[in-house]
Amino acid sequence: MTDLEFNICVDDYSDGVYRFILKISKNKEDARDIVQTAFEKLWVNREKVETLKAKSYLFTVAYHLMIDQLRKENKIVMTDSFDENANAITQGSSELKQLLLAAINNLNPTQKSLILLKDYEGYSYQEIGEIMQLSESQVKVYLHRARLILKNKLTHLEKMSA
Amino acid sequence: MINENNYETFFMSYIDNELNAAERVAVEAFVLTEPKYAAALALFEKTKLEAPSIEMEDKIFLYRFPEMEAKLDPDFKKSLYKKEVPFRKTIFTPKIMRASFAIAAMLILFIGFQLFKTNTVIKEKASFVSTNISSTNSKQTQSKILSSKDVNASINNNIVLLSTQPVNKKINATHNNVNESSTTSKIDVEKYSTKNLINSNIISSVESQAPTLVKLHEAQIVASSMEKVATEEEKTMPILPTTYKEIDTEEEDRTINIGMLEIDGAAFRGITRKVSALLKRNKIEKEK
Repeated sequence: MTDLEFNICVDDYSDGVYRFILKISKNKEDARDIVQTAFEKLWVNREKVETLKAKSYLFTVAYHLMIDQLRKENKIVMTDSFDENANAITQGSSELKQLLLAAINNLNPTQKSLILLKDYEGYSYQEIGEIMQLSESQVKVYLHRARLILKNKLTHLEKMSA
Repeated sequence: MINENNYETFFMSYIDNELNAAERVAVEAFVLTEPKYAAALALFEKTKLEAPSIEMEDKIFLYRFPEMEAKLDPDFKKSLYKKEVPFRKTIFTPKIMRASFAIAAMLILFIGFQLFKTNTVIKEKASFVSTNISSTNSKQTQSKILSSKDVNASINNNIVLLSTQPVNKKINATHNNVNESSTTSKIDVEKYSTKNLINSNIISSVESQAPTLVKLHEAQIVASSMEKVATEEEKTMPILPTTYKEIDTEEEDRTINIGMLEIDGAAFRGITRKVSALLKRNKIEKEK
């Protein structure tokens, strides 16, 4: 990977990695630090990492850094804090989307990561498995469970609102 | 194939774009069969998040430029460093210092102990020698006294003989007796001296033939034997060095040391005098 290719990677993937980390960690500073560390690692290993695999490399590094950070801090994601953040982030004006974001907060970090990687970044099961060091079938099962939880939550909330 | 039991899995794979073209068509056809499946698929589609547009701040710091990797000339870098100081071998490192101190302390203790031990042994030996000497001296004096007693006894016997037998015979007999007694005691000097004395005294006694003079001879013999014993004791006794210190009791700045206390001697003497005077006064008053 050349210097130019690296800078293209910064342009293309930095926002995505930052968003992914910010959605889970809920801390801008932590997210920024993690992204910086991930790009630093990519720079150090630029000769080993192919340009095509740079995105998954960055997500892999960032995901593991975030998991380490969460384990270190033993962080519990609060629903209220997510709501504040949700207002800041332009997710959509609809009430349903806000309810969905609130429901996602109740998922565990693995399920949340799976949803985010799938929906935000559009990664395949295989790619997600590589990033999170899971098998394809595991990704499929965990992701489906997460979707079912979200679906049940949405149906419940819709009934409540109706 | 998709059916009532597995439609949820197919729906979720459908929204995740994990189905191939044929499977997708099958799912779409299944949804069209019953409206409730269409509602279920719509609900699953609602669980799909839309990616928000979030931009990272300070992204500029992530970029890398070739200038950032510019390195200094190695010769210039070297010139910035201080010239290396030649390596000096440190002899007295803290560990070595500690070890040497410990060894020195141990040596001092050992030498001190050895000196103390030798001093005590010398003292013990000296005391043992003095006691032995005194015991041997006492034994010698006893033996000498006994020998002198024999001499005296013989003389006494001779005195008795002097009164009964003729003079010449008496002299010979006394000579023989004295010789025998002196040989048994093994003191040649004493023997000769006593012999001479006895001879002279006996001659005089023979001349005067008075019993009172014999008694005087007896006393003289005893005294001479005692003197000899004393001279021998002086010879055998070890001469121990004695030191004498002159104590000036009238010294003004004399101090008395009691343990760690240092007391002014003059003041102490004054106090003791006063106390003694008071006690005397009280005693007198009581007696009155």
